Amino acid sequence: MSTLISKFYSFILLLGLFLVASCTNLDIEETDSEVVEETEGGGLTGNPTQLLLAAYKDLSAYTDQANIYSLFEHTSDEMIPPTRGVDWSDNGVWRTLHTHNWDPTHSYVLGAWNQLNERSFRINVLLASSPSAQEAAEAKFIRAFNMWHIMDLYGKVPVREFDEGVDVNPRVMTRTEAFDFIVNDLTEALPDLPSVGPGANNTTASKAAARALLARLYLNKAVYSQPLESAAGPYTFDNGDMAKVIENVDAITADGYSLEPNYFDNFTPSATSELILVSLEGDAQNRYFMTLHYNQNPSGWNGFTTLADFYNTFEANDSRRSAPSPVAQGQAFFGVKRGFLIGQQVDDNGVNIIDTRTQQPLQFTEDVPIAGAATNKGIRVIKYHPGAKGKYILLRYADAYLMKVEALFRSGAQADALTQLNALRAARGASALGAITEADILNERGRELYWEGIRRVDQVRFGTFDDTWVEKTVTDPTRVLFPIPQQALDSNPNLTQNPGY
Amino acid sequence: MKNFFTLFFVFLLTMGFVSQSFAQIRGTITDAGDGSPLPGVNIVVKGTTVGTTTGADGTYTINATSGQTLVFTYVGYLAQEVSVGASTTIDVSLESDTRILEDVVVVGYGEQDKKDVTGAITTVSAKDFNGGVITSPEQLIQGRAAGVQITSSSGEPGAGINVRIRGTSSIRNGNNPLFVVDGVPLSGDDVSAGGSTPLGNSSPRNPLNFLNPNDIADITVLKDASATAIYGSRGANGVVLVTTKSGKGGKGTLTYNSEVSVSTISKRYDLLGREAFLDAYEALNSAAARAQLDQGADTDWQDEIFRTAISHNHNISFGAGDATGNYRFSVGYLDQQGIIDESGLKRFTARFNGNKKFIKDRLTISTQMTISDIRDLNVPVTNNAGFEGDLLAGVLKFRPSNPVFDINDADNDGNTEEFYQPNVTEPNPRAYLALSEDVTKTIRALGNISAELVIAKGFAFKTVLGLDRSFSSRKGAFSRDLIAGNDVTGSGRLFLTDIQIDNRLWENYFTYNETFGKLEFSGLLGYSYQSFVNEGKYNTYLNFQTSDLDLMINNYASAALSGGGNSYRNADELQSFFGRFVLNFSEKYIFTGTLRSDGSTRFGSGNQYGYFPSFAFKWRIGDESFAPDLFSDLSLRLGYGITGNQEIPRNQYDRRQRYGDRNVNNAGTFSGGGLGVISFQNPDLKWESTTQFGVGIDFGFLNNRLTGAIDYYYKNTNDLLVQIQSAQPAAQPFVWTNLDADIVNTGVELSLNFIAIDQADFTWNILGNVAYNKNEVKNFGGLINTGEINGQGLTGAFAQRIAEGQPLYAFFLREFGGFDSEGNSIYPNGDVQVFTGDSPLPTVTAGLTNTFTYKGWDLSFFFTGLFGHSIYSNNENAFFTAGALANGRNVTTKVVGNGEGGLNAPDVSTRFVQKGDFVRLQNANLGYNVKLGSNSSVTSLRFYINAQNLFVITGYDGQDPEVNTNKSLNGVPSAGIDYTAYPRARTFTFGVNIGF
Repeated sequence: MSTLISKFYSFILLLGLFLVASCTNLDIEETDSEVVEETEGGGLTGNPTQLLLAAYKDLSAYTDQANIYSLFEHTSDEMIPPTRGVDWSDNGVWRTLHTHNWDPTHSYVLGAWNQLNERSFRINVLLASSPSAQEAAEAKFIRAFNMWHIMDLYGKVPVREFDEGVDVNPRVMTRTEAFDFIVNDLTEALPDLPSVGPGANNTTASKAAARALLARLYLNKAVYSQPLESAAGPYTFDNGDMAKVIENVDAITADGYSLEPNYFDNFTPSATSELILVSLEGDAQNRYFMTLHYNQNPSGWNGFTTLADFYNTFEANDSRRSAPSPVAQGQAFFGVKRGFLIGQQVDDNGVNIIDTRTQQPLQFTEDVPIAGAATNKGIRVIKYHPGAKGKYILLRYADAYLMKVEALFRSGAQADALTQLNALRAARGASALGAITEADILNERGRELYWEGIRRVDQVRFGTFDDTWVEKTVTDPTRVLFPIPQQALDSNPNLTQNPGY
Repeated sequence: MKNFFTLFFVFLLTMGFVSQSFAQIRGTITDAGDGSPLPGVNIVVKGTTVGTTTGADGTYTINATSGQTLVFTYVGYLAQEVSVGASTTIDVSLESDTRILEDVVVVGYGEQDKKDVTGAITTVSAKDFNGGVITSPEQLIQGRAAGVQITSSSGEPGAGINVRIRGTSSIRNGNNPLFVVDGVPLSGDDVSAGGSTPLGNSSPRNPLNFLNPNDIADITVLKDASATAIYGSRGANGVVLVTTKSGKGGKGTLTYNSEVSVSTISKRYDLLGREAFLDAYEALNSAAARAQLDQGADTDWQDEIFRTAISHNHNISFGAGDATGNYRFSVGYLDQQGIIDESGLKRFTARFNGNKKFIKDRLTISTQMTISDIRDLNVPVTNNAGFEGDLLAGVLKFRPSNPVFDINDADNDGNTEEFYQPNVTEPNPRAYLALSEDVTKTIRALGNISAELVIAKGFAFKTVLGLDRSFSSRKGAFSRDLIAGNDVTGSGRLFLTDIQIDNRLWENYFTYNETFGKLEFSGLLGYSYQSFVNEGKYNTYLNFQTSDLDLMINNYASAALSGGGNSYRNADELQSFFGRFVLNFSEKYIFTGTLRSDGSTRFGSGNQYGYFPSFAFKWRIGDESFAPDLFSDLSLRLGYGITGNQEIPRNQYDRRQRYGDRNVNNAGTFSGGGLGVISFQNPDLKWESTTQFGVGIDFGFLNNRLTGAIDYYYKNTNDLLVQIQSAQPAAQPFVWTNLDADIVNTGVELSLNFIAIDQADFTWNILGNVAYNKNEVKNFGGLINTGEINGQGLTGAFAQRIAEGQPLYAFFLREFGGFDSEGNSIYPNGDVQVFTGDSPLPTVTAGLTNTFTYKGWDLSFFFTGLFGHSIYSNNENAFFTAGALANGRNVTTKVVGNGEGGLNAPDVSTRFVQKGDFVRLQNANLGYNVKLGSNSSVTSLRFYINAQNLFVITGYDGQDPEVNTNKSLNGVPSAGIDYTAYPRARTFTFGVNIGF
């Protein structure tokens, strides 16, 4: 037995020896990423300049035709996404948006939620990483811009502080809390933002950008102040809010912004007087690819069109309705006109295009069904032209201008509103109106800002979002808010579903 | 210590010289089988320490007296005892002991007698391996082991393989078992670059392709937790132990094996021919459209692309061995052609295995080393081609009326010798092949060296150093002349990807065996350290000045633009302590207990260590006196254990930032590259754990003519590691979490071996296995979508959802009810996706082998089958619809006249689901061993013919029912979806084995 015991001891001894010699503390040095530590002051180490650059690059999410953009446009009366045989069915995502039949598992409802919230969190990280005063101001503007979209679409905004990890469930701001938060961000940012006049390359935040967003917030404050149960209104607009809209728009004008004399120049690299903020990255090309027919040049995806009723709100001489191609005959993309493309289409040499699938002349029709649409159905829309496309516009002066018209109107200054509105109509080649109504303002905003990603907001504020149009027969007022995505509800117990879902 | 040994030797020598009364006995020891002399045979005088070994010529001399007994022992042979009589010459021929060789099985960190093994394990040895063209070791045992489902993702040479042992137990990738090659656990990382080509993503090749199947002696599958828990955190999906061959035979053996194989596509797509296509197209459009569309050609695109592939495989090995050591050296060369033109795999492998005993057999040094050089010849086959498509999409949809070359000068450029490429959505398959070149070269070396020292009787220490190193480089060029998306056309695109793996292992363990009366104890205690480094880079080049593919690859300054891409380095460590004890009472009651503690850098400081225990019990009922004589063997096994899983990306617990990938388009616009948050604090992330309970019975009847095992198991995986949607706002869209849900696999396995006829000239052996598995997700409140469906108008479409009460990857579809009068789809239960009761996971897997031998002839048939599952045909959904036909794309014959209208939207529905049950004659083998004279310098000669995939019986009308295209969505894998998969082949192999 003693040998057994000595064996046992030598066993333990040897075991102890090699364990001591070989243990690792399982600590690996990071070599392809930076571990961000909290500083003594409670902030983060990190590179705020690079993070700000990344935040601007992130704004390219708005240029996609899916997700964020789709929720603001396909749900409205100015855009329809017809399913064309095997094209554009895409699991029904487009159809359900246009017919207001979406549910909490809709992939773009989730996609937009994720994209927007992710971007707002990155700003929290940036703000904790010791940015300069101007960097902080620009970051707050970007957060406000993203968060406004969340508040507008979903009626509530979750918040995660920069130091809260996966184990923390984000708290949730109500719509009014979010409103105050966004206004506060913009108000704090204003003094440190630069004063910048109009420019085709305004890719960073300026005082004018913050003011345009502030104007939008105050104009819609009546909408955002409603309890979620009656989110569709009716709304009561406050004169004090309207005064703030006017004040902010006037300040933008004072920075040198004015209406572009030639409407379509806004969407080219030579824009001069209206562009407040454009996207640093993300090409505007999706806006023409998503609508052009595959037999046109450039060969498009043959997707989205506008509706006949919307097209018919334009006067024949309205310069926003149609303009020739900016390139000469024989050059690439001559065949694509600007504005609304209807009827027979031509190629770069002016020759009529034949649809290669049907062997019929390619003639775009006014009528367009939501499903089973032939390849030529629907009026196509070109603002950014493939031959002369500018950077993608996020904020444009004409929007601010029309906000002021509306604010004047809503605060009782009808005569001033009419004068301003007619000034814009004159600039766009439309006839002067003799009187002004709410519907006039909504229609004018449609004509000026069509396909620029704001139509849903306008229709909600004007109470027409739950009307019916052609293929859209649902009149459910709860649709003015999107549902909280099912997967968001599953991941955060602090979230509650919106009424009606 | 040295002095001690010197003294010991002197003592022994002295003993020999002083014992004058001993006579000198001489003799020669030979192999009873072939009469060859055996060197290194141990000879001892029984009851003494006197001993010797035979020399190279098999002779020995030893001093012994009459009446003493000599004991002859030799590894792999039955021991013999001979009494010393009057004669001083004792020649002995030893019988090789096949029983002993078969009855020892490899288990984690050691070997055990098969009769003492308490866990559920299956060993398949070389004689039962699948034959034919085999590129990786797991294909050797496909269908051969009960409860082990092995599916290759496609028919591509060297394609990735899914191995599921006792069902699918995790949601994320990484459901493959742990592979341990000669004691070295391999990391599950892909060693070759898959990733994105301009046309879509392609799957990485099987990382195990580096092992030459010809070098493998046997493969043991550890199925239940009591067997795998010694591998702790990586044992949850089972463990596959691969043992390579070692040298045998005193005088050495030299073997040469040569094979030539012929492969053809096993089943073609039933596509329309020229006239049938044009007629069908005209019916949906117009005669004018037909006239416009018709390019006047009559091309069978399957003929253009598929070929009769010829493959060669050569292996040479030599080696020798005796009781004190052995060595084996082998080289192998495989040149496998794929059945798609220009595709293939070339592999050169070399291996050295050796071991030697020193210091009176107390120290054993052994090594296994292999190096392989693999060349994958890739063709543009992808798994997520969109509306534009890839090579196989082109084969399926490109019109039969289209010519290969632009003979009609359709683009009016005066050139009729270029490829006919109408536009990006109509890929010309020949152009895709001719205008692209994509080669992956991989070098991988795996080696280990170990030393085992017997410290005292029954007490030994072993240390193992292992190294697994690989370098893989993929170069893919797409000519600017190719009409394809993503900036290829007019620009040309080159992508370069490099991956390097550097994994190291250091293991130390003690073993201790002691017998206390009727109790045998054996113990194991060890420590293991592994480090894993995976680093790489990728880049793209655009706007080439040349169309020359070689120049694009080898002179990339011909690109005007480069950029995009990124580089990375992932390092991880795993530190483990493990122990095992086996208590064996009277050879009847055997208890095994194991515990492993793994510490991993995959988890934050609070949860780095996981503890994985197991217990097992075996009762050898057959050895009890009350056991009926009917049984020649009867044992009951019980096992319970917890295993873990850590297969997630590294460091998901710290807050980290990194510059994202940069992209560039041919307009020279750069995007991306912004500093982003890639992970944030996730301190609670911990091990996924699987608890398994199993019970099994091993039995043998009729003097073991019928043997088998039946097993039942219950396997529950919880704290599932999975990527879920982050609770926004968050740093990333998805975050790894331990999902509070259970995945339960329950099943029964039966394996049988029946020697139906056992006569001298004629034998018939039947080997069968069948397994049933039920998979269910339980206690899950959320939902996870997967099974991305690609194709025109199918953006965002998916076909599978993981949810409570369903099997994993259950199909989630619209219920299709035919077409209305307009030819549009009817969904009687609404235009919404629901669970339809279809599952892609087979419930029954089966294999059946019949082997006949008659004199020198042998013949075997091996059938395999999967049952109870369904397949979603993304091919049919994307390509074979009236809408596709109306748009001028070819379809299968079943689309014509099916009632569908040309404007119908083919949404994801049960229309595209079919039953996947099949029975396949996987392997048939006919061989003849030539009878050789005893003086022949050739010791063995064998000729054989092997057929793989002779036929499949199935209701599935796709190319092959065994298909699993990677259709993962947001990192969550899919199952049972068929999309532009590289088709499967039928292969005939002719081979010869020569031994010297």
